[in-house]
Amino acid sequence: MEHTLLDFNLRVMAPELIIVSAAALLVILELLLKESTSRNWIGWLGLLAVIAAGVSVGMEFGHPPYQILNDSYRVDSFSLAFKALLLGGGGLTILFSLAGGKNEQPKPKGEYYILLLAALLGGMMMVSSADLLALYVGLELLSLSSYILVGINKRDRHSNEAAWKYVVLGGVSSAFLLYGMSFLYGLTGATNLFAIQGKMVEMVATQDQAYIYVSLFLMMVGFGFKIATAPFHTWTPDVYQGSPTPVTIFLAVVSKAAAFALVARVLLIAYLPLVSTGAWNEIVSWLLMILAACSMIIGNTAALRQTNAKRLLAYSSIAQAGYVLVPLSTLGFVGFDLFPSLFYYLCAYLFMTAGAFAVADCIAKSCKNDQISAFAGLSRRSPWLAGVMTIFLISLAGFPVTAGFFGKFYLLTSAVGSNQAWLAAAMILTTIVSYYYYFEFIRQMYFRAPDLAAPRVSVSWAAWAVLAIGVTGTLALGLFPDLLLHELGKIDWHSAFAQAQNAIRQ
Amino acid sequence: MNLSGEFIAFFVLSVMAIGGAVFMINMQRVMHMALALAFTFFSIAGIYLLLNAPFLAVIQVLIYTGAISILMLFGIMLTKHRYEEKSAVARWQGVIGFIGVACFLGVLMWTIYRTPLLSGQGNPKDFGIHQLGAAVFKEYAIPFEVASILLLVALVGAVILAKREENECS
Repeated sequence: MEHTLLDFNLRVMAPELIIVSAAALLVILELLLKESTSRNWIGWLGLLAVIAAGVSVGMEFGHPPYQILNDSYRVDSFSLAFKALLLGGGGLTILFSLAGGKNEQPKPKGEYYILLLAALLGGMMMVSSADLLALYVGLELLSLSSYILVGINKRDRHSNEAAWKYVVLGGVSSAFLLYGMSFLYGLTGATNLFAIQGKMVEMVATQDQAYIYVSLFLMMVGFGFKIATAPFHTWTPDVYQGSPTPVTIFLAVVSKAAAFALVARVLLIAYLPLVSTGAWNEIVSWLLMILAACSMIIGNTAALRQTNAKRLLAYSSIAQAGYVLVPLSTLGFVGFDLFPSLFYYLCAYLFMTAGAFAVADCIAKSCKNDQISAFAGLSRRSPWLAGVMTIFLISLAGFPVTAGFFGKFYLLTSAVGSNQAWLAAAMILTTIVSYYYYFEFIRQMYFRAPDLAAPRVSVSWAAWAVLAIGVTGTLALGLFPDLLLHELGKIDWHSAFAQAQNAIRQ
Repeated sequence: MNLSGEFIAFFVLSVMAIGGAVFMINMQRVMHMALALAFTFFSIAGIYLLLNAPFLAVIQVLIYTGAISILMLFGIMLTKHRYEEKSAVARWQGVIGFIGVACFLGVLMWTIYRTPLLSGQGNPKDFGIHQLGAAVFKEYAIPFEVASILLLVALVGAVILAKREENECS
C-alpha cells in the first residue's frame, strides 16, 4: 500500500512549515524593499516566526508519536524536545544579530536572516526524521547555510578564511558521512532506519560483521566533524573566531545540538542490534568514549595557550562536546535513562555559551581588541558586564549554583554508574585544567587595572536582552534543576527509537 | 574467463575512467585537469549503461559531463590563475597520505570481498524511470522538498557572496 504526502495529517509539521513560509515570504519581501530601507524588521519577522514555531512545538507535546511517509518525517518527544532547544538557540542568535550597530552587522542583512531561518530548518529536519535521505538533506541544508553565514562578511579576511576552511573540511566530512551511509544502504537495501535495524538483526547473527563496522567508522568520522570533537576539531577554532559572533553562537549551539540528535538517532536505531551481541560495549562505546576523552583533553589543554577570547571559547566548546558525548558513550552500560542528563547539559550549554560569546563580542567591538587582555579591569569599567561574564564562566567551569555544575554532575554520575572510572577521572581532571583558563578571564576582569585609554564598553539593548536570557537560564537551571529535570523525566524518550503507532497499523 | 562483448566494453570503459582520473591528478594545467575529469565522468556514464541503468547514464552525462565540467571550465576561464603552481605539500606528507589511503583501500577491499552481498539477480524492469519517479514523489517527497530549499539557499548564497556592492570602495 503506497501512501502519498496528502494521506497524512500535515498539521504535525507546523513548526517546519512556519519556518519555511517565513523564509520564503522574507525572500520576496526583501526583493520588493528599496535599497535604502532598514532591514532590521526582517530580523524581527524572523524572530516572530521562530517564536511561533516554538509555540507550535510546545502545543505538540503529549501527543503520541506520528510519522509521515516511512519515517521521512516523524514527530516524537525526542524530536520535539530538540526542536525546542534549536528554536531557542536560533531565537537567541537572531536577537543578538539585531544588536549590532549600523556598521558592525553583516552586510546583506535581509539575506542573512533568511539564511539563518533556512539553517534552522535544516537542523529541525535533522532531529525529526528517521530516514537517512531526509537526515542527510537536512544536514546539508544546515551546513550549506552555515558556510554562507560564516563568510557573509566579504570584507573581513578572517571571515573569508573561516568560510573556506569550513566549506572544504565540511565537504570532506559530508563525503565520509555519505560514504558510510552508502555502505549501510548497500548492506540493507533501505534508507529507513527501522528497516535497517530489522536487517541488522539478521546481519549480526552471521559471522561477517566487518561491513557494519566500516560503515560505522566512516560515519563516525563525519559525525565527529559535525559535533566538533577531537581529533576532527581542527576547523573549529578558526571558524568560530572568524565568523560574525551571532553565527558563532549559532554554530556552537544549534549546529552542535542538531548533530548530537542525529548521532543519537542513527546510532541508537540502526546499530542497536549490536547491543544484543555485546559488540556495542566492546566497540561502539569505546569508540565514543575515546572521542569524548580526546575532545576533553585536547580541547582543554589547547585552550590554555590561547590569547584570543573567541578562540579560547571555541576550544572550550570542543571540550564541552566531549562532556556531552559521555552519556551517549556509556549508554550500552547503563541504558536509556541518560537522555535527561544529556538534554539538561545541552540546555545549560545553550545559555552559558551564547552568553559568554555575546559578552566577548561586546568587548571586542567596543575595544577594537579581541584578545583576553581587552577584559582588563572590566569590573571597574563596566561592573554589570563583568558580573554577567563571571556567572557564565563559573557555569562553564562547573561551579555550584549554576547550570553548568548540575549538568556536569549528572554527566559524571552516568560515567561513574557505567563503571568507566577512567572516563570519570578524565572528566574531573580536564575540568580542573579548565579552571585555569576560565579564571584567566576573571583575573583580568577583577585583578587588573583598566587600561586608561580603553573606551567605555557600550552594550546595545538587544545584547542586554540576550545576556539577561542567558543569566536567567543559567541561574534558574542552577538553582532549581528539578524544574527542568522533572519535565525531562516525564518525556518518553524511548518513543524516539521505536516505530510510531501509525507506521505499525499500515 | 569468457571474453564477452560486455566484458570488453567494461574493460575499455574502466581503463578510460581510471586513466582520466590519473591524468586529472598529474596534469600541469588546470584546463587539462578539467577535461580529464570530464573524460572520467563520461566513461562512468558508459559503465552505468552497461549496468542496465540508462536513466542514470543520461543524468551522469547531463549533470557531470555537461553541467559540472562546463561550470569548471567557466570558473577557470573567468578567474585569474597561475600555471604550474608549486605544491605546498611536503614530500613526507605525500608519502604518509599515500600509505594512509592505501591502507584504507586495503581494508575496504578486504571487507567487500569477505562479505557475501549476493541477493539474486534483480529484474531491470523493476527499477525503471517509472519506479524512480514514484519513489521520489511519493516515498521521498519530504527530502525532495527540502532539497528544493537547499537549492534556494545555494542560489541566494551564491548571489550574496559574488555580488559587487554599489557603495563598495575597493
